[in-house]
Amino acid sequence: MITLPSYLFISFVLFICGLVVMIARKNIVAIMLGIELILNAAALNFAAYTKFINQNLDGHIISLFIIVIAAAEAAVGLAIVIRFYQIKESIHIDDATQLQS
Amino acid sequence: MDYTVMNVAPIVLLPFFAFVLNSFIVKRFTTLAVSISCGAIFGSFIFAFRIFKDFVFGTYATDAYVHKFFNWIDLSFGAEIFKINMGIYIDNMTAVMLLMVTGVATLIHVFSSWYMHDDARYGRFFVYMSLFTSAMLGLVLSDNLLSVFIFWELMGFCSYSLIGFYYEKEAAGNASVKAFMTTRVGDVFFLLGILALWSVVGSVTFVDIYAAVAAGKFEGVMALGIPVITVAAFSLFMGTIGKSAQFPLQVWLPDAMQGPTPCSALIHAATMVAAGVYLSLRAYPLMEAAGMLPYIAYIGAITAFGAATIALIQTDIKAVLAYSTISQLGYMVLGIGVGSYNAAFMHLITHAIFKACLFLAAGSVIHSLHDPHTHAGVQEMPRMGGLKNKLKFTWIAMWCCTLAISGIPFFSGFVSKDRILGDALLMALSNKWYIAPTILGFFAALLTAFYMCRMMFLTFHGQPRDKEVYDHCHEEHLTWNSNVPLLILSVFTLGIWFSGSLTGQGLVKVAGDRYEWFQTLIHEPVPAKFATHRRQQWGSEDIKSGANFPRASYDSNHGLSEEEAHHVHHIHHIGAIMSIIIAFSGVFLAFLMYVKKSVDPGWWVSTFSGWYKSLKNKYYFDDLYIGVLIQKGLLPFNNLLAAFDMGVYDRYAVDGWATVNRVMYKFARWFDDLIVDTVAVDGTGASVRLFNLVLRTVQSGKIQFYFLIIVFVLAGYAWKLVIN
Repeated sequence: MITLPSYLFISFVLFICGLVVMIARKNIVAIMLGIELILNAAALNFAAYTKFINQNLDGHIISLFIIVIAAAEAAVGLAIVIRFYQIKESIHIDDATQLQS
Repeated sequence: MDYTVMNVAPIVLLPFFAFVLNSFIVKRFTTLAVSISCGAIFGSFIFAFRIFKDFVFGTYATDAYVHKFFNWIDLSFGAEIFKINMGIYIDNMTAVMLLMVTGVATLIHVFSSWYMHDDARYGRFFVYMSLFTSAMLGLVLSDNLLSVFIFWELMGFCSYSLIGFYYEKEAAGNASVKAFMTTRVGDVFFLLGILALWSVVGSVTFVDIYAAVAAGKFEGVMALGIPVITVAAFSLFMGTIGKSAQFPLQVWLPDAMQGPTPCSALIHAATMVAAGVYLSLRAYPLMEAAGMLPYIAYIGAITAFGAATIALIQTDIKAVLAYSTISQLGYMVLGIGVGSYNAAFMHLITHAIFKACLFLAAGSVIHSLHDPHTHAGVQEMPRMGGLKNKLKFTWIAMWCCTLAISGIPFFSGFVSKDRILGDALLMALSNKWYIAPTILGFFAALLTAFYMCRMMFLTFHGQPRDKEVYDHCHEEHLTWNSNVPLLILSVFTLGIWFSGSLTGQGLVKVAGDRYEWFQTLIHEPVPAKFATHRRQQWGSEDIKSGANFPRASYDSNHGLSEEEAHHVHHIHHIGAIMSIIIAFSGVFLAFLMYVKKSVDPGWWVSTFSGWYKSLKNKYYFDDLYIGVLIQKGLLPFNNLLAAFDMGVYDRYAVDGWATVNRVMYKFARWFDDLIVDTVAVDGTGASVRLFNLVLRTVQSGKIQFYFLIIVFVLAGYAWKLVIN
């Protein structure tokens, strides 16, 4: 029987992984991957709580929203990364020190 | 002729500019500097001669004067008038004096160019001489006591430097200090006298002082119970005592011979000592109004007699001359004291000429005689003798002067000295207070004739006493610039230049009355005539002769009635006969003692051994001043002050203050180091650096780090939530 703590544990691991990736990696794409992980962890939490505690569809719908937002964010973020790469010829996070090229 | 800055000021300024210029060039262009000095003083002589000619032969007459001034200091405020004027005052006396000073100084300069030629400081000597002469000329031309005082002090300085010219010799250094300090005593009184006059008259100009005397401004003005006029006259006379080496401040003059001989000639004849007598003559109306004359007569007579006695036993040729100077100055002061203004001034002039000549001749002798071992000049008469064979010219010149100073008829000294003694005799007959000074004066005349001839006999006559020195004496050392001054000066020792009559009293008329220019033109200032004197600024027209000043003619009665004049002449005849007898007996006594050797000087010494001893010690004046006054009086006082200075002031005030400062410094240093430097300055830096470190670390510009911080903050917040 899969219980709520199992979900939360998975969600926690995902969150930590995402956080570590976000902080430790210098590659902007990898950082975006970390952000995806964190968003997924949050979505998993919504799904788990709504299954075991609320027992309605609110959490699932929010999970779906999160997936949509994550997709939109990935689209915008990758566009920025490509544009950034065109300017700096690098996708290293530390090169992003200027607000204006 | 008009008197303007352009034709009067050069008299003073030519030597002064020579002094200034020579001060700079003397080291490198010594010969040029000497020429400049001599030329400058000769230029002064020409200007002075012009004034002399104008006053004595020209349109000016009797009591004519030129007084021009400009405003020097004006501190007037409202009704308070405080004005000091500077200017020139030329009357007949000034004109004669200017000619004498410039003439004698010129000859002394020329002589010095020979005498000082081999000296290491040949040029520097002329620098001082120029300043000295310039100061004297300024003093003579001054119209007020303040500028007299300024030039007076300048001369004091110059005499100090010249007396101490050979400063390697300790005696010369001491003599210069002694001269300076002794005259300083008189100078302080002089300044006091100026202040006293200022307090009453409100001016220090001579004409204003005369006018104040005439107007009776001094009557009833007292200070501390003493009439101010007495204070003023006494103080001014104290100035004369100091400068003219009168008793009791005569001690400096004999020591002043430590200087080079030409400078002695300048000091003893033309400048320094003449200034004191000149001041007394200028202040004569004041002295007369203050009733100072009897005291002046006593001072003069005591000086004349005392110095003459000391001169009897001197063996140094210059010392004899130095004491004779004091003695003759005593005569001048005696002349002032007995109211013989004209004769006193005449003696000043005649003495200046023959004394300058005597000193220059003595300089020739000293310079010609060289100690073969030390190469120093020989001044001791016991080592001379028989020099007339070698120094013939000097011998003749010196005899002329000796006869003049001894008061032998036909020489200038007789004319002037006899008139002083005649006037003294006249006073003694009418006033018993004058008996003692008159007797002393006649005695001094005897002694003068004796010691001067003694000096001549010892120096030039008899057998050479020091064969070595005699053999080393070279006449060919004497050149034109040593002989010409002697020649000119000895010509002017003849009486005919000063008076047409033998005695200046009409006793024996050698020439007509018109040769009596000296007696005609020199008169004491009559204060009443100055009550309404016209003030003349520079540039204004001169007061000329004519309506104001009628041309004088010689009056053998001197304004007295026929009967009185007869009496005066009678007394003067007696005086003249007495002086002639006295002078010749002095010469004869010296002849017996030192040429015939029929009178043994040793007998006199052994008979009057006590007196001889006191003469040897110059009447113990040096011992009194140095031994008692200075050692017992001033030195303990000085030591007390020094002890106070060292023990109390230095130790407690100065050192104490230093200790206080040191403590304060330590505290200040500690405060500075710890509080200001460490805490405030370094602390500010450290805190800024610390804050900077934090900010720098946080503001790394790395986005992931910001994120990490956010994570930590949120984690902390979450942790807090969990705990609670």
